[in-house]
Amino acid sequence: MAKTIMIVDDSATLRQVVSIALRNAGYDVIEGCDGKDALAKLTGQKVHLVISDVNMPNMDGITFVTQLKKLPAYKFTPVIMLTTEAGEDKKASGQAAGAKAWVVKPFKPEQMLNAVSKLILP
Amino acid sequence: MNLDDALQTFVVESHELLQAMEEALLDIEHSADPVESINAIFRAAHTIKGSAGLFGLDGIVAFTHVMESVLDKVRDGKVSIDDDMVALLLSCGDHIKALLGGLSGGQEHIDPDMASIGAALIERLSVYLGETAGKTVVTAGHHPKVESAAEPKVESMGGGFVETDNWHISLHFGIDVLRNGMDPLSFIRYLCTLGEIVGISTSFEAIPPAAEMDPESCYLKFEINFFSDADKATIEGAFEFVQDDCIIHILPPRSRIDDYLHLIQELPVEDMRLGEMLVRCGTLTQRELEQILVIQGANASGQVQQQSPIGEIVVEAGIVHAPVVEAALEKQKSVKDVKAQESRLIRVDSEKLDNLINLVGELVIAGASASLLSHRSADVQLQEATSNISRLVEEIRDGALQLRMVQIGETFKRFNRVVRDVSRELGKDIELQISGAETELDKTVVDKIGDPLMHLVRNAMDHGIESTELRQSRGKPVKGTLRLNAYHDSGSIVIEVSDDGGGLSRERILKKAIDKGLVSPTQSLSDQEIYMLIFEAGFSTADKVSNLSGRGVGMDVVRRNIEALRGTCELESQEGQGSTVRIRLPLTLAIIDGFQIGVGSATYVVPLDMVKECLEMSGEDRQKSREHNYLNLRGEVLPFVRLREHFREKGQAGPRENVVVVQYGSQKAGLVVDELMGEFQAVIKPLGALFGNLKGISGSTILGTGEVALILDVPSLIQQAASSESKMALVQA
Repeated sequence: MAKTIMIVDDSATLRQVVSIALRNAGYDVIEGCDGKDALAKLTGQKVHLVISDVNMPNMDGITFVTQLKKLPAYKFTPVIMLTTEAGEDKKASGQAAGAKAWVVKPFKPEQMLNAVSKLILP
Repeated sequence: MNLDDALQTFVVESHELLQAMEEALLDIEHSADPVESINAIFRAAHTIKGSAGLFGLDGIVAFTHVMESVLDKVRDGKVSIDDDMVALLLSCGDHIKALLGGLSGGQEHIDPDMASIGAALIERLSVYLGETAGKTVVTAGHHPKVESAAEPKVESMGGGFVETDNWHISLHFGIDVLRNGMDPLSFIRYLCTLGEIVGISTSFEAIPPAAEMDPESCYLKFEINFFSDADKATIEGAFEFVQDDCIIHILPPRSRIDDYLHLIQELPVEDMRLGEMLVRCGTLTQRELEQILVIQGANASGQVQQQSPIGEIVVEAGIVHAPVVEAALEKQKSVKDVKAQESRLIRVDSEKLDNLINLVGELVIAGASASLLSHRSADVQLQEATSNISRLVEEIRDGALQLRMVQIGETFKRFNRVVRDVSRELGKDIELQISGAETELDKTVVDKIGDPLMHLVRNAMDHGIESTELRQSRGKPVKGTLRLNAYHDSGSIVIEVSDDGGGLSRERILKKAIDKGLVSPTQSLSDQEIYMLIFEAGFSTADKVSNLSGRGVGMDVVRRNIEALRGTCELESQEGQGSTVRIRLPLTLAIIDGFQIGVGSATYVVPLDMVKECLEMSGEDRQKSREHNYLNLRGEVLPFVRLREHFREKGQAGPRENVVVVQYGSQKAGLVVDELMGEFQAVIKPLGALFGNLKGISGSTILGTGEVALILDVPSLIQQAASSESKMALVQA
C-alpha cells in the first residue's frame, strides 16, 4: 500500500506541483491549505509524512506542528518544514515544535523528492 | 597497538584453526562425538571470519561467511554432513590458506585464479544453503556483499583505520530520533541509493535492561562499510535531517587518500587555514569543520588556553586520515614559506640590472676622470671631495655587482635529478655529493655554466664511474660518488666536478692523440698536457658511443663555453682513483679591481686578484735575463715575459724595469714592465670580434684621462712564459 504524505501550504500552485511530483513517485497525497484545514482533515488515518509551510493564514506552521505532535496518532509522524533562507529563527522554533527536517524554499520538485526519500520510501 | 603484529597473530591463529578444522573433518566419521567435531569446524570458520573483519579483509570475511552459514545449518541439524561436504570443506580450508598467503602489507591480494576458485567453492556451498544462497553474492572478491555480520567487522584497533576500499560510516543515532518521527532504517536505505553497503553491524550495547527501556527511545548504533563513488558531502547529506541529534563519523576509503593528497597539492598558493584546505579537497565537510571548531572552542575555554590543533581533532575523531592532514600541513607551510620569500625578495628584470651596472661602470670612469683633474688642480678641498666620491662610487660598484651575485646551489641541485635519472639509465649506483653550494657568482656566469656542467657530469657518470661489477672486482665501494664543489680562490670561482671512477688512462689518450695527429710521437708532454688533450675537438677515448657521451663533441665545446666566460679548465686524474675537472671562472664579468702598469707609452691593466707581488729587476738579473727567460725568485724558478717585446713596443727599455708576479691557479709567472702605476677600478669593455683571437689581451677599459688601456689575459701570458722558457731550455740542451 502506498504511503501517505500530507502537504500543507496556502499556495495552491505549490500544493499542486508537490502533489504531482509525490504522486508520480508513488505516494498518496492529502492536501491542506493551512494549519487549521490540515488538522481538520487529519482524523486518525495513517499519514507517513507531513510537509508544512511556516507562514500560513488561520494557523501558522509552527502552531500546526505543535498541535499535530499532541495528537496520539501523529505523535511520531515526521515533519518536513518549508523554510525560507531568511527564516533561520523560524527553523529553530520549528525544530522545537518537533519538525526536524526542512527544505529551503524555493525548491525544485526533485529536491523535495530527495528529501522525502531520506525519511520514507514509497 | 601495531596492527602488523596483530595481523601476524591472526595468520598464525588462522592456520592453527584451519589445521584443527582439517583434523576434525577427517575424523568426523569415526568420531565418538560428531557434534563436538562440527562445533570445532564451525568455530574455526567463525573465528577466522570475525578476526578477518577486524582487519577489514573483506574477501576472507565474505568467503568464511558462506562457510559459516552452511556449518550453522549443519550444527542445527538442517543439513547433514556427508563425504562430499567433507571434501568441499577441506577445499574451502585450502582456499582460506591461499587467501591468507595472499596477505601482505595488511591488504588482500586476490588474483583472478584465486577469485574464480573462491567463486566456484561458494557456488558449491550455496547448494546447501538452499533459498538463502541467492542473497549472498560474491563479486570476484572485490566488494563482497555480506549479510549482517554478528561481529563489529570494521572497528579497527588503536585508532588506526581499516585498510579497505570502502567508506567507514559510524552512526550513533540520538535518543530522540524515533520520537522525532525519524526512522533510522530509512536513512540507511537512502544510503543504498548512493552506493553499496558492503557490511553493516548494529550495536545494541546502549539498550538498557527491559524494565528501564523506553520503547520510544532509540539506542541503536551502526557501523557501516560502504562502497560508493559519491563524495563525502553527498554521503553526509543522507543524514542531513538527523545530523543535529546524531554522532556521525564518515571516514573516506583508504584509496581516496591519494586523490586527496593530489587535490591538496593542486590547491592554489593562498594563505588558507587547515580546516579550509581539508574542506576544499573534500575530505572534510563544511558541517564537520563547524562542529570541530565548536569542539576546539569548548576545549580551549575548559583548559588553560590549551587549544588542540584541528589536525589532531579530525584524526582522533576518525573523520580524516592522518596522511591527508600531514600533506595539508606541509602544503600550508610551503605556502607560508613562499609568501615569506616573496615578501623578502623583489623580482627585477635582469635587463634593468644590466643597465644599472653599465651606468655604474660609466660612473666609475667619470669618477676616475674627476679625481685625476682634481689632483692636477692641486686644490686640496677639491681633492678631498673627489676622494670621498671615489670611495662612495666604489661602494656603489660593489653593491651593484652584489645584486647580480647568486648562489650556485640552485644550479647544483638540478643535478640531483640528472644523476638519479642517468644512473638508472646506465644501471649504475651513483651518489651525488654537493659542497660549496653557498658560493656566489655572477648571474650571467651561472646561466652559462649549466650546459658545460651537464656535459661534465654526464661524461663522468658514463665514462668515469665504472660499472658495478668492475667496481666490485677493483675492490671499490659499489656505490660510485660524483662530487660537485665550488669555492672562491684568488678572485675567481672554482667549480669542481670529480668522480671516484677509473680515471684517465695516460697511454690511451696519448695513443689516440698520436693516431689523430694531434701530437707527434716524439713530443714529450706532461701528464697535465696529456689530460688537456681530451678538450681538443674530435677527441674521445670511449670505445663505445652511447647516447650520453663519447661522440667526441662535447669536451671541446665545454672548453669553448668556459673560455667564452674568460674561464679555464684543468684536469686532474689518477688512474684507478678517479678524476677531477676544475673550472676556474672570473667572479664577475663587468668591473674589476685592476692594477695599472706602463710599458713604453702604453698602459695595461692586470686584474688585481692575480697580482702576487711586484719587484724591481736588479742589474744582475737584467744581465742574466738576456740569456734566459727566467728569474731566481727566492730560490724558485720564475719564468717571465717581457711585455715590451711581447707587444712590440718601440724604443728602448728605461733604466729601471719592474717585475709583476702574477699567479693563476697553481702557476706563477713574471711580467716585465717599465712602470708600476697602482690600483685602479677597471670597467671591462669587450673587444670587438676583430680582436677575438688576440693572444694575451682579454678586454679593454677606459682610464680617467679618457685613454684606452688594454686588460691583460694573465692565464695565456703565463702559458706563454712557461712554454717559451721550456723551449729555450730545449734549445740550450
